[in-house]
Amino acid sequence: MIKIKKSDFSTFITNLQKNYSVFAPVTDGKATAFKKIKSAEDINNKVLNTKRSPKEIFFPQSEVLFQYTEEGIKVPKREEKPFAIWGMRNCDTKSLLLLDKVFGEAHQMPKKDMYKDPYWKEKYDNCLVFNLACNKPLSTCFCNWFDGGPFNNTGSDIFVIENDENYIFEAVSDKGKKFLKEFKTAEQVSDKEIKKIEKLKETAESYLAEKEDISSLFSKTKEIWDETIWDEIAAKCINCGACAFVCPTCHCFDVSDEGKGKKGKRIRLWDSCMFAIFTKEASGHNPRSQSLQRVRQRVMHKYNYFMDNYDEHLCTGCGRCVVVCPVNLDIREVIKKIIRY
Amino acid sequence: MKNTYIPFQMKVKKIYTESPDRTLKTFDLSYLNKEDKFDFLPGQFCEFSILGKGESPFGIASSPTEEDILKFTVNRTGSVTNEIHYLQEDDIVGIRGPLGNWYPVEKFKGQDVVIIGGGFAFTTLRSLLIYMLDNRDDYGKITVIYGARNPDLFIYKDEIKEWEKRDDLTLHLTIDNPVKGWDKLTGFVPTVTKEVSLDPTSWCVVCGPPIMIKYTLPVLTELGFPDEKIYTSLERRMKCGIGKCGRCNIGSKYVCIDGPVFSYEEIKKIPEAL
Repeated sequence: MIKIKKSDFSTFITNLQKNYSVFAPVTDGKATAFKKIKSAEDINNKVLNTKRSPKEIFFPQSEVLFQYTEEGIKVPKREEKPFAIWGMRNCDTKSLLLLDKVFGEAHQMPKKDMYKDPYWKEKYDNCLVFNLACNKPLSTCFCNWFDGGPFNNTGSDIFVIENDENYIFEAVSDKGKKFLKEFKTAEQVSDKEIKKIEKLKETAESYLAEKEDISSLFSKTKEIWDETIWDEIAAKCINCGACAFVCPTCHCFDVSDEGKGKKGKRIRLWDSCMFAIFTKEASGHNPRSQSLQRVRQRVMHKYNYFMDNYDEHLCTGCGRCVVVCPVNLDIREVIKKIIRY
Repeated sequence: MKNTYIPFQMKVKKIYTESPDRTLKTFDLSYLNKEDKFDFLPGQFCEFSILGKGESPFGIASSPTEEDILKFTVNRTGSVTNEIHYLQEDDIVGIRGPLGNWYPVEKFKGQDVVIIGGGFAFTTLRSLLIYMLDNRDDYGKITVIYGARNPDLFIYKDEIKEWEKRDDLTLHLTIDNPVKGWDKLTGFVPTVTKEVSLDPTSWCVVCGPPIMIKYTLPVLTELGFPDEKIYTSLERRMKCGIGKCGRCNIGSKYVCIDGPVFSYEEIKKIPEAL
């Protein structure tokens, strides 16, 4: 573990920018989101959960798949520098691993390569992820339910702890080790500071709400598929889709053509299973025409279907959906209700 | 790495109008570049796109044994299918595929096979039928039940006439309600399936409108067909075709990559499949 003085942070970011396009939490008005920064001054290190999740760095809300003209199809060229993301929290770094299962890996069929998403891979595979520890988690955080934590570092390359006047760096992945090797001259962290970190971790964890045992969640969701509990849950939901748009793990998208004459582009845009037209076929047939079916789909996808396919829950407990839901439908309450049903 | 979102170009070689009301058309496409040619098996599908208008998934109606073309039959019903119907011969279209899984033709080898189809969903069943007829010695008895609302709505009418003449194929054609001049069967597909004395040791493939599949599968069970020998092809709204965009799932299965072909045994485990 090494440390960098906060007063040197600006230089650190400038150096990082030499080899990377750097993204970090940026506050614009009242909202904070991960954006490409010009300098360290843009960064807001105080915010815990950005309003929108950093998935948009790798999987933007709208993304051009290709442009077409009379001459043919052209895939837009990506900027050359790999991405470095500063200031992600554990709930978000973990979400990248989950999204990589969908976009990066492909589990079902032979000839796996054709099931890999090149737009995701070109951004994600070379990126460098800095995971900033949460010294004071929010009341909506429930990462501990899903084996995450304010001082966990799954899914990151370098773990960063803010301690008084320093940022303490610890390599997590091989990529992270390689990066930190270049900081040979940096000051090592003292034993006293290591003890302080332990203390910070304890304090941070004490802010979290009590951990819910979700070991029965997978089997329980399967058992109650046909039960009336879904009426209770769905009664409140207005199918606005806000939860899906702020979620760091929701990955559904629509594909649409925009063009005039022989020129145009095919783009993909975030979509949500909350919307009635999401599954509506041209014939008019709609397998999930009712709100109940759509609410059940979202909950089941998170806590059952994804587990079936990838052995993980598609949720990291970031709590963004709890914050934005206009009808206060708290996903934690839904989970508890299901487990206790 | 292959970018599966990028369609390759094919040329419209021939267009057939299948029904007098012009809602059903079949398109034979030929490859513009030889290197685009792909191997596939009956039951797989492609994303058919018209740049600027969008893309939609369709089952491949040609058999892998019909070289150099891909055949699609399209019902005019939405904005993309509307544009497809405006196509003229020699127009260029985009194709992505082959996507999805296929009917288990390897398992069918040396065995009797029953094909049950309804309406314009006979597309991948045509692929399967032609494939088996072109490798006729590999398969046992082939029986086909094909139903349509009225005689006009059968697709591949010229080929049906050829199939009727063959003595190595039993073909039962049925329409929903009696029509003057119709000398074949009358009645819904599930009812006809019950009446035509099928051998329940055969493999069975069912494809048609959702309502037909829903009522035909239990009839097959009643006749003694085991669930694992009954196959059907499901349809859901799709975009990416490679298991990412999230809309074609039925439970934890994605129709685009885990299907579209499922056995009745698998279907019984997925709620809301039918």
